[in-house]
Amino acid sequence: MGKQDVIDAVRGLPTERVPWVPYCGVHSAFLIGEPADTYLQDPDAIVRGVLHAAERYEADGIPLIFDLSVEAISMGCPHRWWPDNPPSITGHPLAKQSLNDSGIKVPGPDDGRWPVVIAAGKKVRDALPDVALYGILCGPLTLASHLRGVQLFTDVYKNPELASEIISFAGQVAGESARIYAEEIGCDVIAITDPVASQIRPSTFQELVAPASQPAIEAARNAGKVSSFFICGDATKVLHEVADIGTDGFAIDEQLNLSFVRDVALYHGVGFAGNIKLTLALSLGLLSPREDAIACLGAGGSKGFILAPGCDMPYNVPPEHVDQVLQAMEWHRANYAPYPHQMETNKEKR
Amino acid sequence: MSDTIMIDVLTLDSLQCAACTYMMESIAALPKQIQDVICYREWSIKTQAGVDKFVEMKGRVLPTIAIQGDLIFESMIPQYEELIDAMAQRAPTEELGAVIRDLRDTGFDFDEIETNLAKARSD
Repeated sequence: MGKQDVIDAVRGLPTERVPWVPYCGVHSAFLIGEPADTYLQDPDAIVRGVLHAAERYEADGIPLIFDLSVEAISMGCPHRWWPDNPPSITGHPLAKQSLNDSGIKVPGPDDGRWPVVIAAGKKVRDALPDVALYGILCGPLTLASHLRGVQLFTDVYKNPELASEIISFAGQVAGESARIYAEEIGCDVIAITDPVASQIRPSTFQELVAPASQPAIEAARNAGKVSSFFICGDATKVLHEVADIGTDGFAIDEQLNLSFVRDVALYHGVGFAGNIKLTLALSLGLLSPREDAIACLGAGGSKGFILAPGCDMPYNVPPEHVDQVLQAMEWHRANYAPYPHQMETNKEKR
Repeated sequence: MSDTIMIDVLTLDSLQCAACTYMMESIAALPKQIQDVICYREWSIKTQAGVDKFVEMKGRVLPTIAIQGDLIFESMIPQYEELIDAMAQRAPTEELGAVIRDLRDTGFDFDEIETNLAKARSD
């Protein structure tokens, strides 16, 4: 498997072949016939699911889990488990009280859901030495939203000191999550995943999200691991800020034009990943997953590009749709003109 | 239906996607007086009905909040006052618009979110 290709591509480097990272979160549970709620609370089930998904989909890299509620639940946020989704956050401890009054602390490796994640992660790490293991952590703005609720987006403008305090605290939590994934589990790629960061103005991203992301970036760097910033939704308006945040690369969802994304990534010298359509192609098959993957491969090139779904794959994606992505990669390698850096490499060889 | 404001929220899936979660919550956390005069529904593009609604409304991005059929908040989680103003401007009667404007300083109410979200997902 192409573990080193993944690491190189995250860093924006050319790769001989485009690496493929299926974001199998609760979809790994589906593949082994487990409901998501029991799967995510059972380390052995997670191990079975990730190993099965990595082999089934010939993955160069794969997430340990894709669950942005780990940190929030570990800090006591009310939540609800689902059989076909990660848990959802149903209440916000900072909606009516301050951070100081709440007594909420940064959760460490012994707290909340972390022991299950760490136990699973160590076993997966040992079993998949040649696959890039992704540690997906909850980014600071999304975590702050879990803690404060949607009021946070009004606070940003009407109560900026409070918003800054909560987002900054969430950044410290993200830093500890990054340390756990990088140092205690040994993940290769630390993914700061902040889906709501696309739902704000670029100035807010620069003022609040970028500084709060630095502890996680630093933790990854200190452990000698690469980092990537995962953002969802239409992130066009903040994409230059994302590319410039300090991570080695970033990942985007299906709503962005991949040619534009590639140009932004190349401009900033970072890697990028995406963006096979989750719903219309992978889930529903209304668009051909094979053709969509080929379109991505054509736009992405092979300098710093990782082929991946637009976001976490839904629970019951038909595996045969993902098989079409594998077919597309094979066809693309056999028939598609190589990206220019390949020509330079060949010239050097001659 | 002249005493009701229709709100459609186009999402990936508010359980899976945090951006969608907080778009939905921005409606579900509106105070009770507003809950009484709005009718809202989540349309997940993971379903055929959601895809059809997205096409029908000429949706461009996810998540999006549409008020009275207008795509208003596209990939931008609104502030409370922005939501109030957008609803008041599109209220079908002047009286309803005035009622909504009077609640501009009330703020979000998180006590009934789960109940309100369940209603939005119920059909």
